[in-house]
Amino acid sequence: MDIEGLLEMDKRIQSIKKSIIELQDLGQEVEAVTRNAERILASIRMLELNISDLIPVLERFD
Amino acid sequence: MGPEKTTGRQYWNPLIETLPRERLQELQLRKFRRIFEWAYRNSKFHGGLYQNAGIAPEDIKTFEDIRNVPKVEKAMIQENQGKEPYPYGDVLCVPLSEVTEYHQTSGTTSTAVYQADTWQDWEWWSECWSYILYAHGYRDTDRVFIPFGYNVFVAFWAGHYAAEKLGCEVIPGGVLNTEARILKMQELKATAMMATPTYVLGMADVAKRKLSLNPAEDLHIQKITCAGEPGASIPSTKRRIEKAWGAKVYDHVGATEVGAWAYECQAQRGLHINEAFFLVEIEDPETGEIIEEPDKTGKLVITAFDRIAQPCIRFDTKDVTAWRGETCECGRTFRKCRGIAGRTDDITKVKGVLLAPSAIEEVVRAFPELGDEFEVAVTKKGDLDEITLRVELTPGSEGEKDSVRRKLIDQLRLKTNLGYNLEFHLYGSLPRHEVKAKRFKDLRKEK
Repeated sequence: MDIEGLLEMDKRIQSIKKSIIELQDLGQEVEAVTRNAERILASIRMLELNISDLIPVLERFD
Repeated sequence: MGPEKTTGRQYWNPLIETLPRERLQELQLRKFRRIFEWAYRNSKFHGGLYQNAGIAPEDIKTFEDIRNVPKVEKAMIQENQGKEPYPYGDVLCVPLSEVTEYHQTSGTTSTAVYQADTWQDWEWWSECWSYILYAHGYRDTDRVFIPFGYNVFVAFWAGHYAAEKLGCEVIPGGVLNTEARILKMQELKATAMMATPTYVLGMADVAKRKLSLNPAEDLHIQKITCAGEPGASIPSTKRRIEKAWGAKVYDHVGATEVGAWAYECQAQRGLHINEAFFLVEIEDPETGEIIEEPDKTGKLVITAFDRIAQPCIRFDTKDVTAWRGETCECGRTFRKCRGIAGRTDDITKVKGVLLAPSAIEEVVRAFPELGDEFEVAVTKKGDLDEITLRVELTPGSEGEKDSVRRKLIDQLRLKTNLGYNLEFHLYGSLPRHEVKAKRFKDLRKEK
């Protein structure tokens, strides 16, 4: 996969992350929202470790 | 669209597992700086340790700088335990309200170490295990049996969740006894399992003796993931398990304080270190120098890059191993090490010779006439050390005793440079172990 493909995936990851954080803010008073959102954020973090972390490294060598 | 069938793919994450070495090292350096800064700013323990050493996050620019970061020993974590925030003390980097998981070490060598994890850390544990299980060939068509007493020990918990993540069907073997576990595996046609090598061999023995079942023929296990002991990286033990179960056996190494950091691939030649998630250093135990060349034995010092509640930075595991030199036919660029030879605490001088218990295991398990269990006791007679090896002859091999004795003494001498007193015991009379075995007893200090 080339750097463009990775950048595109990272864009989606950051977009989902932003949406979930906004959802958490909106649902502050609903435990079912904040806790489930927290779990989703932990999974998003795994996507960052697998994809987003690579981008500065590959950009440096490109 | 449902999850794509992944059979035929080789890597959990090909982008990371086949990353060229120089890029992998750049990634490691960046990730080391990130976790170092996190711990420096959020844990009183780590912050204090690094400030006393005069090292700040901005000082970490090269791998040489990493070597200056003080190591953390188990005793340092233990000293903090029992204090606020209770029970972890100031090694903690997050508020207690963010801790969702408690586990602890078995405490076989000292007081148990408490380990806190957040939900993100727990996801990370199963992510690390996903790399492992995928390399072992687990796929969404597998039915995985886990004969593990789900409890405070981290053991196969994360393996359970990783198998789920891979799409496997997971059967928790929890509180069932050994016979019930075997029968359940047979009934459900389980295709894979995870356990310690000691327990896997014990299960095969129980299947034969108590249930008249031959696991290699009457069960459907195709692959076994071993952890908790070095057995699956000891060739004779691996062969013994593979023969008993008619399955491929893969090793994995991890630790409660560290994470799941190394795994075998399908080539079964050494352990790949998951270098995108861990920095593994092998250090000369005498001089503290970092060992880079293959085959030279040293002590493992490990950093987990992404564990946030209770970070693991340059943790002195006291486990002993060596690098392997060759590149792997599997295509992974992750460096490989040998199986764990033991802990520095276990590798002891007997009659002036360094003895690793795993070397004795390698010899004993190569004799088909001998049972799976054995015991080694080192005692002192006057000023002289004596080693007694207790073994069992398998049923039907009793007539081979003299020939086995001769060959065993020869092989042990060749492998360990030491002489042994041999004791043959009745089959089934030596202690059987459910999880980790303690087969090596150094009784010289007990008098």
